[in-house]
Amino acid sequence: MFLTRSEYDRGVNTFSPEGRLFQVEYAIEAIKEGSTAIGIRTSEGVVLAVEKRLTSPLLEPSSVEKIMIIDHHMGCANSGLSADARILIDHARVVTQHHTFTYNEPMTTDSCAQAVCDLALRFGEDGREEDAMSRPFGVALLIAGVDEKGPALYHTDPSGTYVRWEAKAIGAGSEGAQTALQDAYSKMMTLEEAETLALKTLKQVMEEKLNSTNVEIAAVTAKDRKFRIYSSEELNQCIERL
Amino acid sequence: MSGDGCVAIASDTRLGQQYQTIAMDVPRMFKMHDRLFLGLTGLYTDTQTLYNLFKFKLSMYKMREGREISPETFANLVSSTLYEKRFGPYFTEPIVVGLDKDNKPYLCGMDLLGALACEPDFVTLGTSTEMLLGACETFYRENMNEDQLFEVVSQTLMMATDRDCLSGWGGVVHIISKEGITTKTIKTRQD
Amino acid sequence: MMDFGTPVLEPGSANGTKQVPQFNPYQDNGGTVASIAGDDYVIVAADTRFTLGYSIPTRKISRVLKINDKVMLGTAGMQADTCALHKVISTRMRMYEHDNNKRMTFNAVSQMLSTVLYYKRFFPYYTFNIVAGLDDKGEGWVCGYDAIGSFEQRKIVCNGAGTKLMQPVFDNQVDWAQSWDGAGKPNLSLEQATDLMKDAFTSAAEREITVGDTLQIYKITKDGIQLEEFELKKD
Repeated sequence: MFLTRSEYDRGVNTFSPEGRLFQVEYAIEAIKEGSTAIGIRTSEGVVLAVEKRLTSPLLEPSSVEKIMIIDHHMGCANSGLSADARILIDHARVVTQHHTFTYNEPMTTDSCAQAVCDLALRFGEDGREEDAMSRPFGVALLIAGVDEKGPALYHTDPSGTYVRWEAKAIGAGSEGAQTALQDAYSKMMTLEEAETLALKTLKQVMEEKLNSTNVEIAAVTAKDRKFRIYSSEELNQCIERL
Repeated sequence: MSGDGCVAIASDTRLGQQYQTIAMDVPRMFKMHDRLFLGLTGLYTDTQTLYNLFKFKLSMYKMREGREISPETFANLVSSTLYEKRFGPYFTEPIVVGLDKDNKPYLCGMDLLGALACEPDFVTLGTSTEMLLGACETFYRENMNEDQLFEVVSQTLMMATDRDCLSGWGGVVHIISKEGITTKTIKTRQD
Repeated sequence: MMDFGTPVLEPGSANGTKQVPQFNPYQDNGGTVASIAGDDYVIVAADTRFTLGYSIPTRKISRVLKINDKVMLGTAGMQADTCALHKVISTRMRMYEHDNNKRMTFNAVSQMLSTVLYYKRFFPYYTFNIVAGLDDKGEGWVCGYDAIGSFEQRKIVCNGAGTKLMQPVFDNQVDWAQSWDGAGKPNLSLEQATDLMKDAFTSAAEREITVGDTLQIYKITKDGIQLEEFELKKD
């Protein structure tokens, strides 16, 4: 792909003659270096599992936040530049709170994903608004939420598009993980089976051995519509089932 | 409010100074004679003074004329008395209610300067006058008997005073008919 | 009609105070809106008289906005602010439908109106609103607002000029408020509620100069919205 690289990839807002925005595409590449994250949707709820990628035994694992809550019925996992993720997630949090404040109802997952993507193309060099970024966001999000249409999983990326998925993997091990998910996924899965599949897939693509400190799991159930990050006991139970 | 050969007058029994309640049992309606009542709303000191003044005037009338005063005449007496104080008025708005010699109801309300407003159906005055007006307008029927009249008067009094924080703490209803006067106390919301 | 109000004394120059005419941005155009909600219906009624002082510029003004098949907004007070507010609410409603791919529910509308009104906390809309509709379960509810957005969800609300005359009647007939033990409290049907509404407005039209002309009664049920027009006194 990058054999056709030319002078057109320096300007953040410049189109190439083939009609490509190289900087945006390079941003998508950045995500392929990030830690793996997997999301699986079932009729009982949505599961998110992430690899924490602890680079040193001196690193405090609980300080690595790869899954974050957006609203009490929605959360997301990120892969790529974590700092960029914080900006997007903070925006999502503000937007969902504003919706509840104005309309006294929880925001739909779809509208929230759209709101996050509205931010993606707000970057530029000259002539941009005061607080816009100077470059695209280098992060992809897997947004999991439950609304009146049921559980939903959305994938957003730096190009500003969002797509709904039944099961999706992003990050370093995403290619292998995605194939594994495609083979094993079924619409009839229970939440428990989805937890197991997510962890099993992570285990396959992770470089280190999977244990309860270097992965994290979270889920939002259709029954109570609450997004929850699992405690270490619950995580251990899931790992034992593998 | 008027009925068929009968008439009723009702009021609440709260005495307050703006939002402070001072008493819950003050009389505002006074029997002037067996077929005539005077109700006085507004400043309580003026209520008491005017009642004493009219008691005096009526006694004089009875002694001189040898008969009880008719409601229409009394209403005019009240009106002139109030107008005498045109530039320093009594701060009360009275209602005169009674049965004339043919047992026809007579109802009349006045403002604090004595402008008469005679009505065939009902008169309302006080802090919750608009609420009373709306309620009376909806529930009044012509030619009610005594029981129906009592029911309508007590219900309208209660529903209007329930929506007014300056009125309440109990109610009294007097019904005047050719047989005599029936007085009933109503227990309303005590707040 | 421009209303410059009574001149205001302004502490002036060396010769003491001087009178300066001031522009009063508000007007009271009268009118009353009322609503009764039942188990599976809501009725919203509003009179159509537009008053300015003691004159009647028109007898046929509409005070009710249809938000969608399940929710309506009724407004009394200043007509210019009513029009502006209705436009804002319609626009916000359409934006919501575009952004969220769904119709606004009764709860969403009631909360949104509150925020829209409070947005103008320091130069309010001179409007007294009610939002009436069927909630997600199909039960009827009404919310009554003050001019800056404070609201409460109830089964009966009146707002506007005739409130003081009509509210006690509704308390008594719908809430059974004066009954000692609440026994025999009626569950009003749509027809009974409509008749009560007509009675209450007729009484209000008798004693309140700004209420009269025609009464528009909108009935919201699961089958949609029906309008009934009822003549009131024109004096």
